[in-house]
Amino acid sequence: MADEDVEKTYRWEGDYEKTWEVLQEDAAGSLQASVDDIIHRAKRRRLQDRQVNVRLGMMRHLFVVVDMSQSMEDQDLKPTRILVTLKLLENFIEEYFDQNPISQLGVITTKNKRAEKLTELGGNPKRHVTQLRTLSSASCVGEPSIMNSLDLAAQTLKHMPTHTSREVLIIMGSLTTCDPGDINITMKMVKDLNIRCSVIGLAAEVQVCKKLCNMTNGTYGIILEDTHFKDLLLEHCTPPPATVNTDSSLIKMGFPQHTISQDHDSVKPSMCMCHQDTEAQSFTPSGYFCPQCHAKYCELPVECKICGLTLVSAPHLARSYHHFFPLENFREIPLEELDAELSRFCTGCQVQLNGPVVYCCTRCSRPFCIDCDLFIHETLHSCPGCINKRIGPNSS
Amino acid sequence: MAKIIPACISGEENLLVVIIDCNPVWWGRRQQQAAEPAQIVLSHCLDAIQVFVNSYLMLSHKNRVAVIASHTSKTHFLYPKNMADPRLDQRRGEDGRYEQFATVDDTVVEEIKQFMTSDTTSRELKTDTLLAGSLAVALCYVHRLEKEYQAGQQLNSRVLVIKAAEDSPSQYMNLMNVIFTAQKQNVVIDACILDKESGLLQQASDITGGIYLKIPQMSGLLQYLLWVFLPDLTMREVMALPPKVQVDYRAACFCHRTLIDIGYVCSVCLSIFCSFSPICSTCETAFKLAKPPMFKSKKKKRSLQNGGPSTSLL
Repeated sequence: MADEDVEKTYRWEGDYEKTWEVLQEDAAGSLQASVDDIIHRAKRRRLQDRQVNVRLGMMRHLFVVVDMSQSMEDQDLKPTRILVTLKLLENFIEEYFDQNPISQLGVITTKNKRAEKLTELGGNPKRHVTQLRTLSSASCVGEPSIMNSLDLAAQTLKHMPTHTSREVLIIMGSLTTCDPGDINITMKMVKDLNIRCSVIGLAAEVQVCKKLCNMTNGTYGIILEDTHFKDLLLEHCTPPPATVNTDSSLIKMGFPQHTISQDHDSVKPSMCMCHQDTEAQSFTPSGYFCPQCHAKYCELPVECKICGLTLVSAPHLARSYHHFFPLENFREIPLEELDAELSRFCTGCQVQLNGPVVYCCTRCSRPFCIDCDLFIHETLHSCPGCINKRIGPNSS
Repeated sequence: MAKIIPACISGEENLLVVIIDCNPVWWGRRQQQAAEPAQIVLSHCLDAIQVFVNSYLMLSHKNRVAVIASHTSKTHFLYPKNMADPRLDQRRGEDGRYEQFATVDDTVVEEIKQFMTSDTTSRELKTDTLLAGSLAVALCYVHRLEKEYQAGQQLNSRVLVIKAAEDSPSQYMNLMNVIFTAQKQNVVIDACILDKESGLLQQASDITGGIYLKIPQMSGLLQYLLWVFLPDLTMREVMALPPKVQVDYRAACFCHRTLIDIGYVCSVCLSIFCSFSPICSTCETAFKLAKPPMFKSKKKKRSLQNGGPSTSLL
């Protein structure tokens, strides 16, 4: 139902809808068939509203602003809004780095009319998640401040290179914001800096958020319940279309090799650069060495602290490639019309196809079940039918 | 060591998917050299796999098995079959074999016979195998079984690839997609390599946390299978497994296909180049060139005089 805010009118301003007429009783008087149909369509919808052939902002710098005001203690989401938010954010952070391996993320909290940076922009999901966990025992007090949060985010984001996508995602439980000045000036500044702001509201639609999102090409969503919250949040995992002002450039990157010492006598153990400040410092024989300055790191991707080179491995880049070659949506055809030569079993999971409809790949025209269709488009990104054939340029 | 509980006792169910590389070119060559003592032929390999699968089923009644054959132009699901084969039903119980073993063995043998002889008409046989496709099918199957399980029940799945023929570089992207999916699903990919080292499977088992083993002696296949690949994942930490191989994760540049340590990556399409060029050859984006620093500072000063934004430059 979030899609409706694309239309200009609110639902209560539109025509009277007879929502119950969608439900049709079958011969036995059961509603199961039409309920199944609705669930089925909802499953597919996520795949269908995907844009193709747009330039994406692949390198993202995202600040997540978490409202820690008193309204987050509300219990309309169980157990409380803040606990649900933190739990979903953990999930979001994992998913974000999975889909955007060379992007960065930072977390800002806002309460008591102030904004504080919880974590700096960084590429390590574990660090963010451990910091987020500390928030669950923190108290939620006072009012949030959108202006202070945006200022704080913009301070860091404006120094990010112009070829990256700068984004702010605000999770807002409060219906008000307490700002020290005119928020319109801040919004203009954010827009000029080419920062895309999106808001997820936990309560109701607020004009100031809507204006912010419209000005900066962000999205504004109000949650219905916690599953919808999760959906709205995960929508922000896929890279957004790049704005016109985003520059493109060639970025120098290092591809360090992981060196494991075969025999322990010849290789001296050394310290890594990433755990220098923590107490759990230990000498290890293995690690990734920056090809430019030979500083050692435990894990990738990382920006070298010595020479500033971005260090990645080839699979990290490969993880993003599926965004460039999205798999076409499968055609939905009734089971009876399926080519008689094709088997009546799903090409992927071998389950017998007995639903009213099956899904066929537009290239190899093999049939799939709904579960495989979703799995292939959401996770696998390669059609098992196509890659089991020699013909066709699918492998390029 | 007391805390390690084998899965057969802990009540979790295990699934093992075995992918057999049935590349006809590679196995055909072995057949010609069959006189040499160190070589094995496909039927010997199948015998070894049958013993291995039976041993795996014997470890626990909760262990489940699927067998997939990978060919140069197709993938075939050998076991379990969707429809019970009437021929096998007739034979059941004739000899004194344990029923489950008999079903697995007979189905695999029947299916592979049919599968290998069905497609002799194809015009050209490639020397590489469509492993990514077979892995994709395996992951779909794992996904389906996981969905069938109720909440609270856990299914530990792993995939064992028995690989004979060469890597197929054209499948790199699809294989990467498959590897990341496996990683997300917590499916471990083990690789048992019969012939040449495989760079792609090295990455697959390294990313998913599986074992990569190139067996030193092909005729000893069964022993390697039983020693290294039979025990389930929980037992692995107490085993002395072959040392991890060093995986080469360096990128190959798109322009010369050479492996590079430092390269340039296009911010739009993430293509990798070994030297700077003003236009990306993949997506044809013209890159913004870094301006000389002199020009930049001049411009900023002028804008200051015009009453522009007060940057703290002076």
